[in-house]
Amino acid sequence: MRREDETDETSVFRRVVLKNASPYHYMKICLVLDDESTKLSAVDLKLFILTGLKNLFGEVGAAISFDLLKYDEDTLSGLLRVPSRSLVKLWSSLTLLGFYQNQACAFRVLQVSPYLLSLTGNSRELKLD
Amino acid sequence: MVRVKSRYLLCEINVPDRSRLFLLDDRAVAAAVKAAVARMHGDYGAALCSIRFSVKYLNAHTGIVFLRFPKKCYRLLWSALPFITCIETRGQKIECFLNCLHVGGTIRTCQKFLVKYNTQQLHRMLPKCKSEEERSQVREAILKCCLTRGNKQEFGEESDSEDDEEQ
Repeated sequence: MRREDETDETSVFRRVVLKNASPYHYMKICLVLDDESTKLSAVDLKLFILTGLKNLFGEVGAAISFDLLKYDEDTLSGLLRVPSRSLVKLWSSLTLLGFYQNQACAFRVLQVSPYLLSLTGNSRELKLD
Repeated sequence: MVRVKSRYLLCEINVPDRSRLFLLDDRAVAAAVKAAVARMHGDYGAALCSIRFSVKYLNAHTGIVFLRFPKKCYRLLWSALPFITCIETRGQKIECFLNCLHVGGTIRTCQKFLVKYNTQQLHRMLPKCKSEEERSQVREAILKCCLTRGNKQEFGEESDSEDDEEQ
Protein backbone atom coordinates (compact mmCIF):
# COMPACT_ATOMS: atom_id res chain seq x y z
CA MET A 1 0.00 0.00 0.00
CA ARG A 2 1.42 3.33 -0.95
CA ARG A 3 -0.11 6.73 -0.60
CA GLU A 4 1.49 9.99 -1.60
CA ASP A 5 0.58 13.48 -0.76
CA GLU A 6 0.35 15.37 -4.02
CA THR A 7 -0.10 18.91 -2.77
CA ASP A 8 3.23 19.32 -1.04
CA GLU A 9 6.14 17.70 -2.78
CA THR A 10 8.81 18.50 -0.21
CA SER A 11 7.30 16.45 2.58
CA VAL A 12 5.80 13.37 1.08
CA PHE A 13 3.68 11.11 3.20
CA ARG A 14 4.46 7.57 2.29
CA ARG A 15 3.26 4.43 3.94
CA VAL A 16 4.78 1.10 2.99
CA VAL A 17 3.24 -2.15 4.14
CA LEU A 18 5.06 -5.40 3.55
CA LYS A 19 2.90 -8.45 3.18
CA ASN A 20 4.70 -11.46 4.65
CA ALA A 21 7.88 -10.31 3.06
CA SER A 22 10.11 -10.00 6.07
CA PRO A 23 13.21 -12.11 5.41
CA TYR A 24 13.98 -12.92 9.02
CA HIS A 25 12.19 -13.79 12.22
CA TYR A 26 13.57 -13.05 15.65
CA MET A 27 13.07 -15.28 18.68
CA LYS A 28 13.75 -14.49 22.29
CA ILE A 29 14.50 -17.77 24.04
CA CYS A 30 15.44 -18.86 27.51
CA LEU A 31 17.09 -22.15 28.48
CA VAL A 32 15.90 -23.76 31.69
CA LEU A 33 18.31 -26.31 33.15
CA ASP A 34 17.75 -28.75 35.98
CA ASP A 35 20.98 -27.79 37.67
CA GLU A 36 21.02 -24.02 37.73
CA SER A 37 24.72 -23.70 38.49
CA THR A 38 25.68 -25.00 35.03
CA LYS A 39 27.51 -22.46 32.93
CA LEU A 40 26.91 -22.29 29.22
CA SER A 41 28.79 -20.05 26.82
CA ALA A 42 27.29 -18.63 23.64
CA VAL A 43 29.26 -21.10 21.52
CA ASP A 44 28.00 -24.02 23.61
CA LEU A 45 24.43 -22.86 23.20
CA LYS A 46 24.73 -22.54 19.44
CA LEU A 47 26.35 -25.97 19.20
CA PHE A 48 23.59 -27.43 21.36
CA ILE A 49 20.86 -25.99 19.12
CA LEU A 50 22.76 -27.15 16.04
CA THR A 51 23.02 -30.74 17.27
CA GLY A 52 19.30 -30.69 17.98
CA LEU A 53 18.63 -29.50 14.44
CA LYS A 54 20.90 -32.16 13.03
CA ASN A 55 19.19 -34.92 14.99
CA LEU A 56 15.71 -33.92 13.95
CA PHE A 57 16.22 -32.66 10.40
CA GLY A 58 19.55 -34.20 9.41
CA GLU A 59 22.15 -32.42 7.31
CA VAL A 60 19.53 -30.28 5.61
CA GLY A 61 18.42 -29.03 9.01
CA ALA A 62 21.99 -28.43 10.16
CA ALA A 63 22.46 -26.18 7.13
CA ILE A 64 19.89 -23.65 8.38
CA SER A 65 21.71 -20.37 8.90
CA PHE A 66 20.52 -18.97 12.20
CA ASP A 67 22.38 -16.48 14.38
CA LEU A 68 22.63 -15.94 18.07
CA LEU A 69 22.48 -12.15 18.14
CA LYS A 70 22.61 -11.58 21.87
CA TYR A 71 23.21 -13.88 24.79
CA ASP A 72 23.20 -13.39 28.52
CA GLU A 73 25.12 -16.10 30.37
CA ASP A 74 23.58 -15.33 33.78
CA THR A 75 19.97 -15.76 32.77
CA LEU A 76 20.70 -18.22 29.92
CA SER A 77 18.49 -16.19 27.63
CA GLY A 78 19.30 -15.12 24.10
CA LEU A 79 18.05 -13.67 20.88
CA LEU A 80 17.98 -15.76 17.71
CA ARG A 81 17.65 -14.57 14.15
CA VAL A 82 16.41 -17.13 11.65
CA PRO A 83 15.21 -16.96 8.02
CA SER A 84 11.39 -16.94 8.01
CA ARG A 85 11.09 -20.14 6.00
CA SER A 86 13.12 -22.10 8.56
CA LEU A 87 11.35 -20.72 11.60
CA VAL A 88 9.11 -23.76 12.05
CA LYS A 89 12.02 -26.20 11.76
CA LEU A 90 14.11 -24.34 14.30
CA TRP A 91 11.21 -23.95 16.70
CA SER A 92 10.25 -27.62 16.57
CA SER A 93 13.83 -28.75 17.15
CA LEU A 94 14.08 -26.38 20.13
CA THR A 95 10.93 -27.93 21.54
CA LEU A 96 12.27 -31.44 21.21
CA LEU A 97 15.61 -30.71 22.88
CA GLY A 98 15.18 -32.35 26.28
CA PHE A 99 18.63 -33.14 27.58
CA TYR A 100 21.82 -31.13 27.88
CA GLN A 101 24.76 -33.33 28.99
CA ASN A 102 22.47 -35.86 30.67
CA GLN A 103 20.47 -33.30 32.61
CA ALA A 104 16.94 -32.38 31.79
CA CYS A 105 16.48 -29.04 30.12
CA ALA A 106 13.83 -27.07 28.25
CA PHE A 107 13.74 -24.11 25.93
CA ARG A 108 11.17 -21.45 26.67
CA VAL A 109 10.30 -19.36 23.64
CA LEU A 110 9.43 -16.00 25.16
CA GLN A 111 8.73 -13.87 22.11
CA VAL A 112 8.71 -14.28 18.34
CA SER A 113 8.44 -11.45 15.86
CA PRO A 114 9.44 -10.57 12.31
CA TYR A 115 10.64 -7.18 13.59
CA LEU A 116 13.55 -6.87 15.98
CA LEU A 117 12.14 -3.68 17.42
CA SER A 118 9.05 -5.40 18.79
CA LEU A 119 11.22 -7.53 21.07
CA THR A 120 12.35 -4.48 23.05
CA GLY A 121 9.26 -4.57 25.21
CA ASN A 122 7.18 -7.41 26.52
CA SER A 123 3.61 -6.68 27.51
CA ARG A 124 3.55 -9.74 29.74
CA GLU A 125 6.20 -8.26 31.99
CA LEU A 126 4.62 -4.81 32.23
CA LYS A 127 4.31 -3.48 35.76
CA LEU A 128 1.41 -1.11 36.14
CA ASP A 129 1.66 1.34 38.96
CA MET B 1 -14.65 -42.35 -3.30
CA VAL B 2 -11.25 -41.49 -1.97
CA ARG B 3 -8.01 -43.31 -2.13
CA VAL B 4 -4.62 -43.06 -0.56
CA LYS B 5 -2.39 -41.37 -3.09
CA SER B 6 1.19 -42.29 -3.75
CA ARG B 7 3.91 -41.33 -6.14
CA TYR B 8 5.92 -43.98 -7.95
CA LEU B 9 9.48 -43.08 -8.88
CA LEU B 10 10.94 -45.00 -11.75
CA CYS B 11 14.67 -45.04 -11.15
CA GLU B 12 17.60 -46.53 -12.94
CA ILE B 13 20.52 -47.91 -10.92
CA ASN B 14 23.81 -47.09 -12.59
CA VAL B 15 26.75 -49.32 -11.72
CA PRO B 16 30.26 -49.49 -13.18
CA ASP B 17 30.09 -53.28 -13.45
CA ARG B 18 26.76 -54.60 -14.73
CA SER B 19 27.30 -58.18 -13.56
CA ARG B 20 27.12 -57.00 -9.96
CA LEU B 21 23.50 -55.92 -10.46
CA PHE B 22 22.45 -59.52 -9.79
CA LEU B 23 23.55 -59.19 -6.19
CA LEU B 24 20.86 -56.58 -5.55
CA ASP B 25 17.61 -57.33 -3.82
CA ASP B 26 14.75 -55.03 -2.92
CA ARG B 27 15.51 -55.08 0.80
CA ALA B 28 19.04 -53.79 0.21
CA VAL B 29 17.74 -50.97 -2.01
CA ALA B 30 15.09 -50.05 0.57
CA ALA B 31 17.71 -49.99 3.34
CA ALA B 32 20.00 -47.75 1.24
CA VAL B 33 17.18 -45.29 0.53
CA LYS B 34 16.17 -45.22 4.18
CA ALA B 35 19.74 -44.63 5.32
CA ALA B 36 20.19 -41.76 2.85
CA VAL B 37 16.91 -40.14 3.91
CA ALA B 38 17.82 -40.50 7.59
CA ARG B 39 21.20 -38.88 6.96
CA MET B 40 19.84 -35.96 4.97
CA HIS B 41 16.57 -35.30 6.78
CA GLY B 42 17.19 -36.78 10.21
CA ASP B 43 14.50 -38.31 12.40
CA TYR B 44 11.79 -36.36 10.59
CA GLY B 45 12.73 -37.85 7.24
CA ALA B 46 13.15 -41.34 8.69
CA ALA B 47 9.65 -41.12 10.14
CA LEU B 48 8.17 -40.00 6.82
CA CYS B 49 10.03 -42.82 5.12
CA SER B 50 8.64 -45.43 7.47
CA ILE B 51 4.98 -44.79 6.67
CA ARG B 52 4.25 -46.05 3.17
CA PHE B 53 7.61 -46.32 1.51
CA SER B 54 8.39 -49.54 -0.34
CA VAL B 55 10.37 -50.92 -3.24
CA LYS B 56 7.66 -52.17 -5.57
CA TYR B 57 9.72 -53.73 -8.30
CA LEU B 58 13.36 -54.42 -9.00
CA ASN B 59 14.73 -55.70 -12.25
CA ALA B 60 18.22 -57.05 -11.63
CA HIS B 61 18.89 -57.47 -15.36
CA THR B 62 18.32 -53.86 -16.35
CA GLY B 63 18.71 -52.18 -12.98
CA ILE B 64 15.25 -50.62 -13.02
CA VAL B 65 13.58 -50.00 -9.70
CA PHE B 66 10.13 -48.67 -8.71
CA LEU B 67 9.97 -46.77 -5.44
CA ARG B 68 6.67 -45.90 -3.81
CA PHE B 69 6.44 -42.76 -1.66
CA PRO B 70 3.45 -41.08 -0.05
CA LYS B 71 2.32 -38.23 -2.29
CA LYS B 72 2.40 -35.73 0.56
CA CYS B 73 6.14 -35.85 1.06
CA TYR B 74 7.63 -37.44 -2.04
CA ARG B 75 9.59 -34.33 -2.98
CA LEU B 76 11.40 -34.31 0.33
CA LEU B 77 12.25 -38.01 0.10
CA TRP B 78 13.20 -37.68 -3.56
CA SER B 79 15.75 -34.98 -2.66
CA ALA B 80 17.72 -37.56 -0.66
CA LEU B 81 18.09 -40.04 -3.55
CA PRO B 82 21.12 -38.37 -5.22
CA PHE B 83 23.08 -38.92 -2.01
CA ILE B 84 23.03 -42.70 -2.41
CA THR B 85 26.51 -43.69 -3.52
CA CYS B 86 26.61 -47.35 -2.62
CA ILE B 87 24.24 -50.15 -1.74
CA GLU B 88 25.27 -52.79 0.77
CA THR B 89 24.10 -56.31 0.10
CA ARG B 90 25.34 -59.66 1.38
CA GLY B 91 28.39 -58.07 2.95
CA GLN B 92 29.40 -56.41 -0.31
CA LYS B 93 29.31 -52.77 -1.24
CA ILE B 94 28.05 -51.96 -4.72
CA GLU B 95 28.97 -48.49 -5.89
CA CYS B 96 26.11 -46.94 -7.77
CA PHE B 97 23.93 -43.90 -8.24
CA LEU B 98 20.22 -43.61 -8.86
CA ASN B 99 18.92 -41.80 -11.91
CA CYS B 100 15.25 -40.90 -11.76
CA LEU B 101 13.57 -41.36 -15.13
CA HIS B 102 9.90 -40.77 -14.40
CA VAL B 103 7.48 -39.85 -11.65
CA GLY B 104 4.01 -41.33 -11.93
CA GLY B 105 0.82 -41.62 -9.95
CA THR B 106 0.28 -45.31 -10.64
CA ILE B 107 2.45 -48.27 -11.46
CA ARG B 108 0.64 -48.54 -14.79
CA THR B 109 1.75 -45.10 -16.05
CA CYS B 110 5.29 -45.89 -14.97
CA GLN B 111 5.19 -49.16 -16.88
CA LYS B 112 3.89 -47.42 -19.99
CA PHE B 113 6.67 -44.89 -19.74
CA LEU B 114 9.25 -47.64 -19.28
CA VAL B 115 8.12 -49.44 -22.44
CA LYS B 116 8.26 -46.17 -24.39
CA TYR B 117 11.64 -45.30 -22.93
CA ASN B 118 13.12 -48.67 -23.80
CA THR B 119 11.81 -48.42 -27.38
CA GLN B 120 13.39 -44.99 -27.65
CA GLN B 121 16.70 -46.32 -26.40
CA LEU B 122 16.55 -49.15 -28.90
CA HIS B 123 15.93 -46.76 -31.80
CA ARG B 124 18.88 -44.71 -30.59
CA MET B 125 21.18 -47.70 -30.36
CA LEU B 126 20.23 -49.69 -33.47
CA PRO B 127 21.78 -47.30 -36.04
CA LYS B 128 25.04 -47.45 -34.10
CA CYS B 129 25.47 -51.16 -34.85
CA LYS B 130 28.53 -51.46 -37.04
CA SER B 131 28.29 -54.94 -38.45
CA GLU B 132 25.43 -57.15 -39.56
CA GLU B 133 26.43 -59.56 -36.80
CA GLU B 134 25.73 -57.05 -34.06
CA ARG B 135 22.41 -56.20 -35.62
CA SER B 136 21.36 -59.82 -35.68
CA GLN B 137 22.47 -60.17 -32.08
CA VAL B 138 20.21 -57.27 -31.10
CA ARG B 139 17.35 -58.79 -33.08
CA GLU B 140 17.84 -62.10 -31.32
CA ALA B 141 17.80 -60.38 -27.96
CA ILE B 142 14.53 -58.66 -28.83
CA LEU B 143 13.01 -61.94 -29.94
CA LYS B 144 14.02 -63.48 -26.64
CA CYS B 145 12.22 -60.66 -24.85
CA CYS B 146 9.11 -61.35 -26.92
CA LEU B 147 9.05 -64.92 -25.64
CA THR B 148 8.77 -63.65 -22.10
CA ARG B 149 5.87 -61.45 -23.10
CA GLY B 150 3.67 -63.60 -20.87
CA ASN B 151 5.57 -62.40 -17.84
CA LYS B 152 5.02 -58.84 -18.86
CA GLN B 153 1.29 -59.43 -19.20
CA GLU B 154 1.22 -60.84 -15.72
CA PHE B 155 3.05 -57.83 -14.47
CA GLY B 156 0.48 -55.56 -16.09
CA GLU B 157 -2.35 -57.39 -14.42
CA GLU B 158 -0.56 -57.11 -11.15
CA SER B 159 -0.42 -53.34 -11.45
CA ASP B 160 -4.12 -53.27 -12.32
CA SER B 161 -5.01 -55.14 -9.15
CA GLU B 162 -2.80 -52.73 -7.27
CA ASP B 163 -4.92 -49.84 -8.54
CA ASP B 164 -8.08 -51.61 -7.52
CA GLU B 165 -6.79 -52.06 -4.01
CA GLU B 166 -6.17 -48.39 -3.67
CA GLN B 167 -9.52 -47.24 -4.96
